Amino acid sequence: MKIEFETFVLPNGLTVILHVDRGSPLVAVNLWYHVGSKDEAPGRTGFAHLFEHLMFMGSKHAPYPSFDAIMESWGGHNNGTTSNDRTNYYEIGPRNLLETFLWLEADRLATLAEVITEEELEKQRKVVLNERRQSYENRPYGRTELRIPEIMYPEAHPYHWPTIGSQADLEAASVDDVRSFFERFYRPSNASLCIAGDFDTAEARRLVDKYFGWQAAREAPRPPAPAPAVLDADRAETVGDRVQLTRLRLAWHSPALFAPGDADLDIAAHTLGGGKSSRLYKSLVFEKRIAQDVFAYQSSQRLGSLFHVGATAKPERDPAEVARAVDDELARLAGEGPTAAEVDRARNTHLADFYKSLDHLQTRADLLNHYQYLIGDPDGVDRDVARYEAATPASVRDAFAAVLAKHRLALTTVPDANAPAPEAQGEEAS
Amino acid sequence: MSARVPPPEHMTRAPSVGPLPHLEPTRPKRFVLSNGLEVTAERRAVAPLVAVNIMFRSGSDADRELAGLGSSTADMLDEGAGARGPLKMAEDLEQLGADLWLGCGRDGSQLSLQVPRKTFEEALALAADVLLRPRLDADDWARVKHDRLTALQQRRDQAEAVAGLVSDRVLYGDAHPYGRSSEGFERTVERIGIDDVRRYHATYYRPNNAALVVAGDFDEEKLPAQLEAAIGAWKPGDLPAPVPATPLPSGGNGRTMPRLVIVDRPKAPQSVVRIVAPGTDRLSPDRPALSMLNAILGGSFTSRLNFNLREQKGYTYGAGSSFSFLRRPGSFAARAAVFTEVTAAAVTEFLVELRAVRERPFTDEERTKARAMLLDRVAEGLATSGGIAANFAELALYGLPLDEPERFIAALERVTADDLLRLAQKYVDPDGSCITIVGDRAAIEPSLRAIGLPAPELRDADGERLPG
Repeated sequence: MKIEFETFVLPNGLTVILHVDRGSPLVAVNLWYHVGSKDEAPGRTGFAHLFEHLMFMGSKHAPYPSFDAIMESWGGHNNGTTSNDRTNYYEIGPRNLLETFLWLEADRLATLAEVITEEELEKQRKVVLNERRQSYENRPYGRTELRIPEIMYPEAHPYHWPTIGSQADLEAASVDDVRSFFERFYRPSNASLCIAGDFDTAEARRLVDKYFGWQAAREAPRPPAPAPAVLDADRAETVGDRVQLTRLRLAWHSPALFAPGDADLDIAAHTLGGGKSSRLYKSLVFEKRIAQDVFAYQSSQRLGSLFHVGATAKPERDPAEVARAVDDELARLAGEGPTAAEVDRARNTHLADFYKSLDHLQTRADLLNHYQYLIGDPDGVDRDVARYEAATPASVRDAFAAVLAKHRLALTTVPDANAPAPEAQGEEAS
Repeated sequence: MSARVPPPEHMTRAPSVGPLPHLEPTRPKRFVLSNGLEVTAERRAVAPLVAVNIMFRSGSDADRELAGLGSSTADMLDEGAGARGPLKMAEDLEQLGADLWLGCGRDGSQLSLQVPRKTFEEALALAADVLLRPRLDADDWARVKHDRLTALQQRRDQAEAVAGLVSDRVLYGDAHPYGRSSEGFERTVERIGIDDVRRYHATYYRPNNAALVVAGDFDEEKLPAQLEAAIGAWKPGDLPAPVPATPLPSGGNGRTMPRLVIVDRPKAPQSVVRIVAPGTDRLSPDRPALSMLNAILGGSFTSRLNFNLREQKGYTYGAGSSFSFLRRPGSFAARAAVFTEVTAAAVTEFLVELRAVRERPFTDEERTKARAMLLDRVAEGLATSGGIAANFAELALYGLPLDEPERFIAALERVTADDLLRLAQKYVDPDGSCITIVGDRAAIEPSLRAIGLPAPELRDADGERLPG
């Protein structure tokens, strides 16, 4: 499958990608800033994500709450997401909104810090603290998720803290922090803009130039380049949480996104824990009936990935028995490798899911920006797919055996109706 | 390198927005197979994929006293079928790159298949096995049943799921088909035997109780023969009359404050709040106007509820509302997860907003916004193969015509401010509503009493009443 696009760079460094699809009278705008929680200053964890919220709190010519109000009054809608690596913002709506979307995005890139106030920061701080509670603290196994990066990455590594940040750091964030973060990272040269949908490319070029072209060229900030993280010993920890069942989680360091072995590990993960045909499902859930669920995934990121495996013990079974059964399957895959049929199934499933996601306009726009950020070229579909086409039982076995040979983290979440708040736990452990 | 430069004049005001684009109607083809099954087919070739939805007009509303039966049946169908055992079925679907999903909602059960163009025909044969020739083996049911019972035990920790099922149970009552959890309860799933599953399948998974929708990159000429070969031999059956709807427990009864139900979750950092009231059915002529009302009240980011509780007060990550339009009258629900310490203040703001829509008409700007947003939702819903298949399957479930999306859009144009005020007074009734809160009772009850709410009814995570 080919995604047709054209691309150009404004003199100020903004990369622009245009993808026309006239199937529906819709247009999507998708803007990536190459800043994420990896770029946060010490004592300000969670700031990149908090900042993303502030991007909706009004700019000089579209004061709060115009951003959402203007957009929604014409039928558009929007959101943003923040990861370790990047922040994206997107809008979608009827095609007559293209110019409005571009004006709103351009105005906040140009002027956000001029108008941000203490009151607006305070409101979004509360919203984000609620998000932290809803997504982690009040969700089964959520607090375990927060512990994983803290253990896997040393304090100096930019993946050491979770993207949502700590409550104390979120509470410490100031308007001055907002201004300096904005000045440093929100620059045309640190972004790429994709427009997808029902529009005319000549008109889109004119509009992009009109709204972004006048903005000053400033050098892109240098991304952090930490030494690769390693665990120098196996680590084990137990976390109490408001859950019914004990869950075991294992994590290893693994090759970065697009690095050799990354796609092989997606296939290894699928072979281990991807659905009802997977080895862990077959052994632990289907045959031995000792686990309620199993999972495995390669969580791919720019500066290094983590390979995760997990199983939730049936209430009447001994978690140690579950742990042994998991280890048996891990050792077997690292020793024998997957069968050719297993590699085929994993590849077919992965590629079918990939194509399914591309049926949606906004996903295509996001993917073009993803490739632009990752390999400096939106034209990444063929290269990406080729990684999976090239995988063999031997390459998957070798990539997986290399991961398994490293030290690992074993986190056990146990039922504890009176578990302390995650914040206190984090401090205890550090 | 220079710093930021002053913006040019054209940045200082919003650009003009041209007229809303016309949405070309999606008009799928319709034909009928030899066994009477109605097929709806829309070809589009953006991605090399085909999406199939087969909708059955029976869901958990046909469970009767065995709550969770329809959902258990859907779960069992792909546990081995035709020549394949459960694991072989999963393996072969993956080999084809096929995503096969079965589910059971309030009014309908559904098979959804998404598959690459090149393996469509083979995947269709597997889907036909699943529907026509499932093994429904007793040993497999023993395993799946145990998994489901454990999952129901785990549900107690999921505050949002608990709030949903408890508020439905309180609103509809135990005798109503919508009062029972679609996934069931431990005590009901415990009683389901494989014979019950076989009976549900044999009764309701019939072509005369179904509609099939195909969307995506299929071959239009070959499709009728492909479907005939896969499921032409499927025989119609006798369908029992649908379970009658018991009347909803009546609304306000002259109450001046809502009911309050608390599911205690000691030390919870958030309270999950859900406010429910009786709504209306899918065929109601009020639906377009109620969709507009809801878009303004709680169905968008700039809605009154989200703007107040999230943006102005910072009580929550998001507040919203929705109507569920079902075969029998559904519900209106407003919801948010809020900081424990502001629970009563958040409930107060909910009640302020719900009362306000009954007292003052919506503005022209709000109505224009609601129309534009709903038009965009229709357009986006029909912009992917999966979306087309799901949307037309839903229309088939309720016997609605193919031009329903355009009728809906046209109806929005006719909605007046008076209509919205009248409907708000009819359907948004905070004093006749029930407020369910899953949260830390000790921390929230005193302040809830202080704002005038009645003594709470206490329920457990399954909605069973507890002694006060």
